[in-house]
Amino acid sequence: MKVTVRIWDFPIRLFHWLLVLAVVAAYVTATLGGNLMDWHGRIGSFILGLLIFRLIWGFIGSTYARFGSFLPTLPRLAAYLRGRWYGIGHNPLGALAVFALLADLSLLVGTGLCASDDIAFEGPFYQLVDDESSRDKLSGLHVQAFNFLLVLVALHIASIVFYRVVKKTNLVVPMLTGKKEVPKALATTVIGGGVFRFLTTVIISGAVVWGVWEGVEIIKPVESAPVTATPPSF
Amino acid sequence: MKTKLTLAIILATATTAALAGPIEEQIRFRQSAYSFLGWNTGKIKKQVVDHPETFNKDYVAAAANAIAAVANSGLGELYGAGTDQGTGWKTSRLKPEFFQKKDEVTVVANNFNTAANELAKIAATGDVNAIKTQFGKLGETCKGCHDLIRIKE
Repeated sequence: MKVTVRIWDFPIRLFHWLLVLAVVAAYVTATLGGNLMDWHGRIGSFILGLLIFRLIWGFIGSTYARFGSFLPTLPRLAAYLRGRWYGIGHNPLGALAVFALLADLSLLVGTGLCASDDIAFEGPFYQLVDDESSRDKLSGLHVQAFNFLLVLVALHIASIVFYRVVKKTNLVVPMLTGKKEVPKALATTVIGGGVFRFLTTVIISGAVVWGVWEGVEIIKPVESAPVTATPPSF
Repeated sequence: MKTKLTLAIILATATTAALAGPIEEQIRFRQSAYSFLGWNTGKIKKQVVDHPETFNKDYVAAAANAIAAVANSGLGELYGAGTDQGTGWKTSRLKPEFFQKKDEVTVVANNFNTAANELAKIAATGDVNAIKTQFGKLGETCKGCHDLIRIKE
């Protein structure tokens, strides 16, 4: 006997697909460079907003969005690897990947905020890092974090293919519709989430991103463009 | 035989030195050149991209001319043998592959020179939008070299 459960709430699905689009866009703009670097910075800020959103939603979202519901603890991992884990939502191994992805994306965004391409782009926190070699290292770490992200994304996609081909389970459709057929015994009532919490989380995330760009001016005002009508005479 | 080899090394070193000084000096000169470029691209970025309301034609043209002057100064001379290893103002980030990729380097370096000269020409017209577009193209040519022969920390 199977029942349909809404495992992925709308905010989680929106988060997931916007993240996919934003990461691709960030990669494309960084690869092309030039004036698109300003867009790279904007997209990076958007990803920052998405990550803050996910962090909050991990506590107040609906059941299967909550970090607490899928913490990859050792007993759970051991049970899963022995084939004795039963549940819906992220399985323990998938949960590890979720946390690894979120951690690496946080590192990527964090270093990006402090990075420069040594051409004409500086992240909003670049000027806050005083030491030149630290600046170079943070920019380098940004690239390494991206390379690691590619590894994680490859694993993510490989797992989806594995589930499709070997386990005959389609993971992509539930991430689009939110719905999944599960054995009745495993189905639990999905609680949490909701429009009000969603909108509140969006506003908070947006406010933090805005604060990152504007707040830095308060901590350490970047010298503004010379507004003198005439350049120096020598 | 040994004397010949020593003589060859001395000659080679002397030639390099005569061109642009010893290794450390070449690295220092080129690091200075790029940081001077950075100062000037920064000025254009501020007035053309970030705060176009502050645009000053002469100020931006002066920066663009400085960039073109550095580009046309023959920077290639500062990339003598052995200059991938060494410290100028700081440790050089030149990839050793530089010396195997001379043809590709020539292409990306010439792209930069062409874009820099074009920027100087356009900056003289004072057309902010055209300057912004060309400034972006210049940035792409900077990236051409960074991607090819600059070590990412």
